[in-house]
Amino acid sequence: MKKDLLQAYKQAPWRTQIQWVGAFLLVVIAIAAVSGLYLFISGRSAATGRRIQNLENEVAALHRQNNDLETQLGEIRSEQALSERAKALDMRPLKPGEVLYLEVPGYVPAGGPNLAPPPMIIEERTPLLMPEFTSTFLDWIASKLQATTLNPTPTSEVQP
Amino acid sequence: MSESIKTRFLIICVICTVVAGVVGVQMIRIQNTEPAQRLLAAGENYQGVTRMVYPDRGNIYDSKGRLLAGNETSYEIGLDLNSVTQPETVASIASSVLGLDYTQILGYAQMTPGNGNPYYIVLDDFVDEDKIVELETIKADYNSREARGNVVLPSISGLMWTPHSQRTYPEGTLAANILGFYSYLDRTGGNGYFGLEEAYDSQLSGTPQAVFYAFDPQRLSTVEEIPPGVTLILTLNREIQAMTEKQLDQAIEWSGAEGGTIVVYDPEDGGVIAMATTPRLDPNEYWDYSELFPNPMPYNSAISQTYEPGSVFKVLTMAAALDSGTVDVDTRFNDTGAYHIGGHTVYNWNHGGWGDVNMTECMQYSLNVCMTWLAVEMGPDTFYSYLKAFGLDRKTGIDLGGESSWPLKLPGDSLWYEVDLATNSFGQGISMTPIQMAMSIGAVANDGRMMAPHLVKAMVIDGQQYNVDPVVVGTPIKAETAHSLTNMLVDSLESEASVALVDGYSVAGKTGTGEIATPWGYSSSETNASFVGWGPAEDPKFLVYVWLEKPTISQWGSETAAPVFSELVSKLVVLMDIPPDNIRLAGEIIASGQ
Repeated sequence: MKKDLLQAYKQAPWRTQIQWVGAFLLVVIAIAAVSGLYLFISGRSAATGRRIQNLENEVAALHRQNNDLETQLGEIRSEQALSERAKALDMRPLKPGEVLYLEVPGYVPAGGPNLAPPPMIIEERTPLLMPEFTSTFLDWIASKLQATTLNPTPTSEVQP
Repeated sequence: MSESIKTRFLIICVICTVVAGVVGVQMIRIQNTEPAQRLLAAGENYQGVTRMVYPDRGNIYDSKGRLLAGNETSYEIGLDLNSVTQPETVASIASSVLGLDYTQILGYAQMTPGNGNPYYIVLDDFVDEDKIVELETIKADYNSREARGNVVLPSISGLMWTPHSQRTYPEGTLAANILGFYSYLDRTGGNGYFGLEEAYDSQLSGTPQAVFYAFDPQRLSTVEEIPPGVTLILTLNREIQAMTEKQLDQAIEWSGAEGGTIVVYDPEDGGVIAMATTPRLDPNEYWDYSELFPNPMPYNSAISQTYEPGSVFKVLTMAAALDSGTVDVDTRFNDTGAYHIGGHTVYNWNHGGWGDVNMTECMQYSLNVCMTWLAVEMGPDTFYSYLKAFGLDRKTGIDLGGESSWPLKLPGDSLWYEVDLATNSFGQGISMTPIQMAMSIGAVANDGRMMAPHLVKAMVIDGQQYNVDPVVVGTPIKAETAHSLTNMLVDSLESEASVALVDGYSVAGKTGTGEIATPWGYSSSETNASFVGWGPAEDPKFLVYVWLEKPTISQWGSETAAPVFSELVSKLVVLMDIPPDNIRLAGEIIASGQ
């Protein structure tokens, strides 16, 4: 059998050449596939990065706009502006004898302003880039292993 | 293969290896030379740009969440010399829209960047949004034009506008003495001056950080979010502050006083509800400071100016005497009109004797002789230990920049004389700031507990609100003493039908007329007129301290400061939603089920 094969190759050397060409093409295709994949990931990553950059600029602009609107509101609702508007509407400050007080059992006056949640509530922050764009294959394996360690498959049935 | 060919191949291999090795070594060497490192570092500059980012300065709100200090967008106008294509157009537009000098701008625009010339020149800063809108309209108009033939289209390419934050105070001069100001024109080295802007400068400004902005989008993950400065929520009520300032201005005009101060203070928690002083600066135009406040005029006299308070101080003397058991409410004193002490004679304000009086009458008639007797009966050790317990030997620690205090002279000090025991007992020879007086007398209004005066009620730090708990500084007197003294002062005001009384509300209070020390002795014609009062007497919600400096309409606090207190409180109770006594007490009875 071995003799027959050697004979065949000696008689048709192009078979060896095809093998070499096939192997070379395989390597080229593998490199092209990896390069293509890398290019795809890099392209997406770059596009996402650029989008994030634009969104960050937008956030900054909105933040500035928010500050401006708050200041404008502060000016419109300033004590002086409101007093002038009230005077223009023929209004005047109340005198003590003109106030009608009502007893409302159980009424608790509103406290101070709550401009933000109290310190106990901590919001989780979304990372700037998803881990898929930054982590390596080894990171992914490590995270999977860690997840498996932290949440082992139950070995016994959990009683309800 | 012959031996000679083998040798030749070997020699060629060795030569190639050596050459390759030399090339490799040379590559490593060249890459590690100083010029190469500089080149690498220079290459990093093209990876991105590192900028110092200054967080937005924290806002300041009043107790109802109304903005007192915030930020708005302002613009820097600059010239990017690399991008300028038409210097004349740039100069013309900058001149017509921004009012800048045409020749100067043209000179800048015609410069060639590099070789000692800058690449970017700041033309103007803190430019309003309106002008930016105008520039954007012009730019859009130029960009929309289509070229026809050889006609050169106008362009303002190179003219740039960059937004940044500017400190702003929408209420103008309102509460300016409390807020202080921030020197926003200095964009990198601005500081807070006076008031809250100074006291909380580092918290309000946040932490500036150097941030690397990558040109490579894949490196964007290194950009960090910079938290804004701390936001402050105050105990101050804007409406009450505005009303207090109006009352003070009217009082100064009516009384002919040189200046004045009114503090509205919550004795229960030490929060300052309003604090009006004169003059007041618009912090949006803080550069007028030196003109408005010639040296040594304090920015906020309520915390920075000490003065001899006069008879309002008798509240503390009587509190010490009652609390130490030296006298009780019913103790009687025979006032002869004069008291000899330390080689001096103390007289009453009218140089007369008032005969047999009780302690309430001592307060009602404001008898210096009676107070001197109380101080002598207590003895200097007891008297001054009470003054120290009332916190009069130190600053209050209020959270405002620029607080002052005057040293309290104590027995044993080289400048203390026996007669000081007498004069101190009725508020002369001793100097206090209005906030010191408000804090210490606040203990009488708050069951003997003395609260630390403060302005900040809560802070918002990194998106979370932290409330500031009131701080008890001490308990200088017992609750019973505080109640007894409050009742005495209610009775004394009602007995003399004082002009300080407020219809429908029980208030406790005391007038004060302090003589002013001059190089030639005390002046009786120039006085400091004061009044301190609190109410409702059964459950005080406010303490008001009024000080008018050198009133000319009358020298007496009972005729100048007392009516100011009454008028102010009649408005204050409406703004604070405090019902008259008959309604409030009836409500309490219903609530308690009696």
